[in-house]
Formats: sequence, C-alpha cells, structure tokens
Amino acid sequence: MFESRGEKVFVTSITTLLLLLSFIAIVPLLSVISISFSSKSAVVQNLVSIWPKEFTLDSWSYIVERPDLWKSFFLTLGSTVIGTALALFITALLAYPLSKPEFRWGSVIMIGVVIAMIFKAPIIPYFLTVRGIGLYNNPLVLIVPHILNPFNLIIMRSFFKEFPKELEEAAFLEGSGYFRMLFQFVLPLSKAVLATLALFYAVVIWNQFQTPLLFLQNTDWFPLQMKIRQFISDDNMIMPGAASTADFNFNERTLRSATVIFAILPIIAVYPFLQKYFVKGAMIGSVKG
Amino acid sequence: MLKSKIQLKVFWPLYVMAIPGLMFLIIFKYIPLLGSVIAFKDYSVFKGFIDSPWVGFKHFQKLLDYPDFVRVFGNTLMLGFLKIVLVFPIPILLALMMNEIRKSALKKGVQTALYIPHFLSWVIVSGIVFDIFSLSGLFNIVLGWFGHDPILAMQDSAYFRPVYVLTSIWRDAGWGTVVYMAAISSIDPQLYESAMMDGASRFRQIRHITFPLLLPTVLVLFLLEIGNFLDLGFDQVFNLLTPMTYSVGDILDTYVFRTGIQQAQYSFATAVGLFQSVIGFILVFIFNRLSKKVSDGGLW
Repeated sequence: MFESRGEKVFVTSITTLLLLLSFIAIVPLLSVISISFSSKSAVVQNLVSIWPKEFTLDSWSYIVERPDLWKSFFLTLGSTVIGTALALFITALLAYPLSKPEFRWGSVIMIGVVIAMIFKAPIIPYFLTVRGIGLYNNPLVLIVPHILNPFNLIIMRSFFKEFPKELEEAAFLEGSGYFRMLFQFVLPLSKAVLATLALFYAVVIWNQFQTPLLFLQNTDWFPLQMKIRQFISDDNMIMPGAASTADFNFNERTLRSATVIFAILPIIAVYPFLQKYFVKGAMIGSVKG
Repeated sequence: MLKSKIQLKVFWPLYVMAIPGLMFLIIFKYIPLLGSVIAFKDYSVFKGFIDSPWVGFKHFQKLLDYPDFVRVFGNTLMLGFLKIVLVFPIPILLALMMNEIRKSALKKGVQTALYIPHFLSWVIVSGIVFDIFSLSGLFNIVLGWFGHDPILAMQDSAYFRPVYVLTSIWRDAGWGTVVYMAAISSIDPQLYESAMMDGASRFRQIRHITFPLLLPTVLVLFLLEIGNFLDLGFDQVFNLLTPMTYSVGDILDTYVFRTGIQQAQYSFATAVGLFQSVIGFILVFIFNRLSKKVSDGGLW
C-alpha cells in the first residue's frame, strides 16, 4: 500500500503521542512502587521519582509481617473468589431461561431487569432493606449484594441467544433436560463470556468500598479497601505499642506505598491472562447491550 | 388454563432456574426502589416502609430551605458539568487515535497501559494521588525543577476540581475507549478502500468516515452520561475529600451519607436521593428530545 510522507508523519506523531500518554498513565503507579522499595532517607530527601533509590525491602517486610493486613487480604480474597463463583452461577441461572423464547415470562422479566438497571434506588432505602434482612455487621454483606448485576445479566443473555440451536436440539433428543443442557453444554462453551463477567464481578467485589463502609462496624471484618483507607486517613500505619519509625529504614510514606501496591498485586497478576477475554466481552456487551 | 399447565409441565426447569435471580432483584433492587416512598413519610425504624406516617412534601421543602443543601447541590452541578465537558470527550479522541496505530503489538501495549488504572479502587487511587501531591511527592518534585515552591494541593480547595477531573480521566478514560473501539471495528472496510482510491488522506478518512459513523454511539453514551449527571461516584469524591476541601467537594452523595447514615435522618436523606434521581431523569428526557430533533438517534 502506498503511503505518502505526510501520512507517515501523521501516523508516527499519533503513535508517539499515545506512547507518551501510556507512559503518563503508568507513571503514578511506578512512582508509588519505587517509593515502597526506597529507603526512608532517600524518600525524605525527595530523591525518588519513578525509580527506587537506595533499594530496600524494609517497608515490605514490615507490611508482610502484619497479621491484621493478611487477615483483611484473605477475607477480601475469599469473598472475591466465592462471590464471583456464586455471581456467575446465579447470573447464568437467570440468563439462560431469559434467552429461551419458550420461557413465557421472559419479556416481562427483561423489562424488570432494564428498569433495575436504569433506576438506581436512593442509598437510604437500600441501606434499610439490606440491614432489614440481617446483613448489617455481617461479613456476608461483602458477597450477597453483588451476586447479580443487571448489566452483566444482559451480556450473558445475549451470548446465550447466539448459541447454535442444532447443538441443543441434538442434546434434547438424547433426553437431557434444561439443567444438564445449561451445565454440560452451554456453560462449557461460553468460556469467553464467563471469563469476562468473572473479571467484572471480581473487580467489583475486590474493590468494594461503599458497601463495607455502610454495613460493617466491626473492624475485624474490614476488607482490604477499608483497611487501606484507615491507613491513609488515620496515619496509624504503625501498630499500636510498636516502637516509632525513627529506628527503622521506613516511614509512613514508604509503608503506605507498599500497602497500596500490596492491595493491587492480585489484580495486576491476573490482568494479562484475562485481557484478551474482557476486550471481547466488553464488545459483546457494548454492541448488543 | 390448560395451556399454561402444559407449559409448566414441560418447561418447569426454566422457571426454577429463574427463582434465585428474581428473588435477588426483588430484594436488592425493587424493595429499595419502592422504599423510596419514605421521602414522603416520617420514617420510623419500628414501623417500616409501609406503616410510617405520610407527611407529603415536608422533607423536600426542608431540603430547599437548607443553605447547606444549596451549596452541596451547586458543587454537584459544577463537578457534573466539568465531567461532561472535560472528561466525556477524551475516550473518543483516544479511540480515534488508537485506531490509527497499525502495529498490533504496539496497540496492545498502549491499551494495556491505558486500561490498567480502571482496575484500581478509588481508595487505592486516592492513596496514590495523596502521595503524588504530598510535600515530597512527584508533583512537588516536578514543581521544584521549575523553581516553584511546594503546594499542598489536596488540602487546598482551589485544587479539588482539577484533581477530580484529572483522576476521572486517569482512571477511566482508557477504559472508556473500549466501546468506541468496538464501534469503529464494525465499520465497513470498503468505505476506507474507496476513500483511499479517491486519494483521501488519513486525516480526511477520520473526519469523513470514522467520526460520522461513530456519532450514534457517542450520542447514546452522551445521553446515558447525562442521566448520571448528578451521580458523580461516591467512592471517588469521598476518598479525595479532606476537611479543607469540603466547601467545593461536598456533593449530594457524600451529603446523603452524612445526613442519612451517620445522623440517621432517613426520610430527609431519601428525599435528597430522590431529588437527584428525578433531575437525572428529566435531563435525559430533555436531551433525548433534543437529540431526536437534530438526528435520528436517541435512547427511545
């Protein structure tokens, strides 16, 4: 294909600009990572920008030795894994009948789902309802309110609708019912949409802040985000009773940076594996949703 | 009667499957939605949504009389306006630019870098932002290069709005491109081929093919954005606020949290929330009308 000089300049300058923007997008992360690996004195003297100075693992070793942080971490991890699995299960159970023309209530329920998506209830009646069913100060509140999202439901339904009819008919002839159909044929062939929605649900549960803020009083049940918020706003990074940071090679700032990175490691770790799925999945949702 | 009996006999598994999801929708979506009636009642914890006494528009009147409310509403309008004008167009520009990268490895790298911030919680983002704007943070290091005195931006009400806009862009603009990229990828390649035959430059192709065909998607997303005009995101504002930035950063969401949850003024706070939803709905309605007039597109 012929490309004129002007075209090349055009494409090259756009590419350069985008690379610059990508760099700017990850600079804040790099900055926090470097601080967490730098010595207290380098940080205090403003020597750290986006590369660690006087590399040390001291703030990290302090962080990973804190039992309360690990407790929050495993609580968050556990609720994310269980919550995501449960959410996919419940969403699939409703999305499947909604994708079937023979399901009589389908169109009525779909209208209801769309209404639930558009009209957000004010937070107070929501709070009173959730408290009313006994989820106040109950760690289950980290999972239960997230097990069905109308938007994700619609994405899954559109995906099921595309499912080739012939395959299902063949299975019906062999005498399998709807349940076997869903779990043995449809779901195993829906990996792309399952992976995408798993990511969507997992990110919401992992990152949730408002729900625990509203419903959890007991600090024992604080998930990671609440814990980090405490560290950031209360300046109480150092465990009560411990010596002050004067004797150590870390300070509040390096500790806080290490905690922030600690809390996003799992997301960064699974991100590359899911990326190819979620772009595809988000497209399914955006084009048809 | 007979027909529906047969229907149930054959298709009962479908109905059984739907039960858990429907229960969820009723409990977590519909009951709270209907529970909004307490904005017109004096809600008492012991009487519940239904038996609490009606008081008409009392709480709405109270809300308009509060000087606090007027300030908070003003802040919300201001941030909502900034979000529409400064944040909304960025993903469109980014998507148009990303579409021009022909090397797919490079494109993937750019996408990864721009998407990543979207996966961080606002607590984390605010942690990072507070660090960058701290006295010895990256922001002040850079200011120092230009011989500028350090600024405590997070404690200064003049910086709250820029910080709100910049963090919105940083976290979500990259992710916002996904929808537009999907729309661009569905454009017929033949259009570009014939444009090239006519000697149209890259820039002209963007202007006369990509952009016009992207407009319907832009319009739909714009309408959805307008509907959420006053919905600025509780997590973001709550986590970026400091006592010093209250005067410009306190919005309806944080106000509802304080009056409703912390001071237990349930009915009043619900009135504020309902006010917010109704204004959002009216805005969508008006803009939908307008967009139907200027083009064929619209939400309904």
